[in-house]
Amino acid sequence: MATLEEKIEETRKLGLQVVKEIEEDRLMTLSVGPQHPGSGHFRFTIKVDGDYIVYCDPDPGYVHRGEEKMCEYRNVIQNIPHLERPVIHDSNNITYSYSLAVEDLMGIQVPRRGQFIRAIASELNRQVYTLYWLAIYGIFLGHSTMFMWPAGDRELFIDLLERLTGARVTHAYNIPGGVRNDMPEGFKQRCLDHIRYFEKRLKEYEDIFYNMPLFRQRTEGVAVLSKEDAVKLGVTGSVLRASGIPYDIRKVEPYDVYNEVDFKVQYMKTGDSFARSYVPFLDMKESCNIMRQLLDKMPESGEVRTKLQPNPKGPPGEAYRRVESGRGALGYHIVSDGTPRPYRVKISVGSFRNLLALPYLLVGNKLADMPAVYWSLNYWPVEADR
Amino acid sequence: MSSDKEEQKMKAAKPTKAAGPEKAAPEVAKPAETKPVPAPKPAAPPATAAPPAKQEPEPPAFEKGLAQELVAKFGDAVKILYIRPIRIKVETGPSSIVEVATYLRDSMGFDHAESASGTDYPKENQIEVNYHLGSYTRDDLLANIIVLTTKANRDDPRVPSLIRVYPSVEYHERETYEMLGVYFEGHPRMERFLLPEDWADIPPLRKDFRIKGR
Amino acid sequence: MASYIESFRFGEFVGSVLWLVFWILIIISLVGLPLIFIVLFYVPLPPLGDEPLTPYLFLTMVVDPTRTVPIAKYLIHTDLFRVAAFPGFTYAALFAAVTIFVERKFLAKMQLRYGPLYVGKIEGWLQLAADGLKLISKEIIIPAAADKPIFWAAPIAFVSVAAAAAALIPVAPGWVVADIDVGLVAVFAIFGFFPLIALLFSWASNSKYPFIGGLRALHQIIAFEIPFIISALSVVILAGTLNLTGIVESQIASYWFVFFLPISAFVFYLSSLAELERIPFDLPEAESEIVAGWITETSGMIYGLIQLGTYLKLYVLAALFVVLFLGGWSGPIIFPEEIIPGYTGEKIYNHVTLSAIFWFSVKTFGVIMLFLLPRGISPRIRIDILLHTGWYKLIVLSFINMFVALALIYGGILGPEGLLVR
Repeated sequence: MATLEEKIEETRKLGLQVVKEIEEDRLMTLSVGPQHPGSGHFRFTIKVDGDYIVYCDPDPGYVHRGEEKMCEYRNVIQNIPHLERPVIHDSNNITYSYSLAVEDLMGIQVPRRGQFIRAIASELNRQVYTLYWLAIYGIFLGHSTMFMWPAGDRELFIDLLERLTGARVTHAYNIPGGVRNDMPEGFKQRCLDHIRYFEKRLKEYEDIFYNMPLFRQRTEGVAVLSKEDAVKLGVTGSVLRASGIPYDIRKVEPYDVYNEVDFKVQYMKTGDSFARSYVPFLDMKESCNIMRQLLDKMPESGEVRTKLQPNPKGPPGEAYRRVESGRGALGYHIVSDGTPRPYRVKISVGSFRNLLALPYLLVGNKLADMPAVYWSLNYWPVEADR
Repeated sequence: MSSDKEEQKMKAAKPTKAAGPEKAAPEVAKPAETKPVPAPKPAAPPATAAPPAKQEPEPPAFEKGLAQELVAKFGDAVKILYIRPIRIKVETGPSSIVEVATYLRDSMGFDHAESASGTDYPKENQIEVNYHLGSYTRDDLLANIIVLTTKANRDDPRVPSLIRVYPSVEYHERETYEMLGVYFEGHPRMERFLLPEDWADIPPLRKDFRIKGR
Repeated sequence: MASYIESFRFGEFVGSVLWLVFWILIIISLVGLPLIFIVLFYVPLPPLGDEPLTPYLFLTMVVDPTRTVPIAKYLIHTDLFRVAAFPGFTYAALFAAVTIFVERKFLAKMQLRYGPLYVGKIEGWLQLAADGLKLISKEIIIPAAADKPIFWAAPIAFVSVAAAAAALIPVAPGWVVADIDVGLVAVFAIFGFFPLIALLFSWASNSKYPFIGGLRALHQIIAFEIPFIISALSVVILAGTLNLTGIVESQIASYWFVFFLPISAFVFYLSSLAELERIPFDLPEAESEIVAGWITETSGMIYGLIQLGTYLKLYVLAALFVVLFLGGWSGPIIFPEEIIPGYTGEKIYNHVTLSAIFWFSVKTFGVIMLFLLPRGISPRIRIDILLHTGWYKLIVLSFINMFVALALIYGGILGPEGLLVR
């Protein structure tokens, strides 16, 4: 296997060369574009030599809406509804990170019950996102049952979130200062029931998908991302944990109440597509565990939100906070100049960082591996474009 | 006022709590400790009574040690802007940024760049380019982020690219180029990335680009 | 829906009803009646008792329903009926239609959902009619640079070839469209057309994804034809004849061949899945990799024809499996000798034939369900694993069973005057 530097040089040489000169007869350019069942809102151009991919060039930006620019025109509370649009079904995590950064800037303290509810909502959203990811992974490999089952089980958690926040996706629930409203009655019991049913379903997923020999043949040993390459490329989230580095922001830099929860960071050492597809599944199992502990330890009553003045403003300064979302580290770098509107909001999303691994992993693999590798990088196109 | 004190206590208490689960991180071999400062992070001294919001509290000792190491190596070429628990901001000039980044990667253990971005300051006629650097392999640095910044002149912003040092900034620098107009010298493919092909306006994240209707 | 109510005008409604009535009258008088008269005057009709069956008698049969019985009996034995209705196209198409519906429902139950539910009051059974109407009414888009003669001819050829294969399958003793001595080889010969059609169509589409899909179809089908043929040959060794009816009769004489040749049955099953391009072997139409493979550029009725052809092929291969391994129509006779005791009219009811048709249909349906099953269970295979399986593993397995078949014949267990022949 060539080293990373050699692969970089070869890819660049091939790309620049083929784009500028007339294509050789051997290579065929395929545009896996936005109108492709296997790509999402994203386009990448691949050149194939027979059945082998020799070059890949991602071209995101189809859903770029200028989130960072829009943040400068609204005050910190008004930013929440549009900031959760990049990932609609993981919206509690993307606003969690934002709220933490704003609370740092302005010196706001969130009440304890609010912190617990925030963590519970974040874990529920993690399940929702990972199940959706798993469903699409199944259909990319042609497994229609693995598409329907997670999509159906996702309803368990979406139902819980709807009871909690009022919306199925894009909850607008986490705001600087806490959460918008308290839990409804009977939520805790319902949540525990759903988690118990879901853990039974997880065993069935393992039987039909992860232990299926065809799936294993297609993903084991395919597109291995070694530990050194993973570090150099700066990937994050489940891609990083599948390559042998047990890095989870909930453990490394615990925010809110995660330092009171006892859980293990799930990781695998092989770094191939199978590991990248299995680590989110293990994360889901661990997440059920975390949710149970959070529900146990939550204080029975209390405030859930620190009320802020209508146009909250804080001293000038900057803050950088990170949260572990379904795709990886989601960081917000907020610069404030003392006015109610942020001066600059930089969102650092896991998908954008993982995108870099795509050209390096696809080169040398067969065309049939393209959906397996692409989706195993846990890439959400809308979030990467912001 | 009291919320400030509590918030600062929360921030000060975080390093100790972060040290706990870190020590319990399973099955990762601890690398040999070569830091001049002893390993466990001590609790930061609590804030003084009722401080005004603008004043930074006493910086924690571990991060202070990191900052001092940088200053000892580079002297006047770097300037430490702030030291907070697990966050340090270091500013340097465009000519020495590659050297500082290489030193941070090789000797201090910050092995990847999380992102690269920029902020536009039209009043000072500068664009500040900043890189967030983190570490995946050093146990004591897992939570630390160093924000390495440099300032470029707004009229002709040119900064050397860090792609040879940290390959992970490839797409981030392209995005900063198209959003703010900063040209990174040495980047093999300085082209637009997220914006559409027919974008004919000024770089959108600059302050003189106004969203229509606002 | 409010807009419909607002713009309702009674005059327009009456006008549209009259327009409909006008068109029905025109079609009946200009097309329907001449057809009836052509049939009555030019098709030789059987005598009814002592007098010839005049058109007057025919048209007044509603008075005396027993007059229809000899006509029906006569029509059943014409060639046209055989080709178009009973063991031929309509029977196969009916199986195909029921298969499509059952597949959707069956898969839905496995995937914890409902499947079609609304069209038709009970569990959406009319969904297929709705889909057919939709496909007929869609616009057929042909790429500008496509090769038009082949683009139009290939789907029609696809359906014709599948129907031609269906013409060789015997459903009941004496009921087969084309009873030829080398029936099995003819089936293989007809099946050899399919990769050619796929490749021609993908080439004519003049586009990259169909091109990749067509090549994959070619590789896949050719790789699996050899185990397909060899596993069927072991049946021929045991039966001693290539005639499909003869194969069934030799199974009636002894036992079903699936007990003697289980490995061949398994290899035949896998090869059929590959020939049909069904999951797990649906690489030529891999949706997430090459959009829709070689049928990417189809739309409207062309897509409908290709789907019909695919499900006709499914019926043919399931029926072939039943004929070769599961004893065709053999089974206990479950219909009574006389359906209405003491009925003296001309009988069109033959209890042997009916029970043969019953058993054949049940077995074919069972095998079709077996073909549908992997779609709910497994993901798609990759081309290198597929070729490895087809060329190495399946050929070896099918040879093993061929040697078993030879041993059975030479050992005198089966074959003429064998031990197990009843």
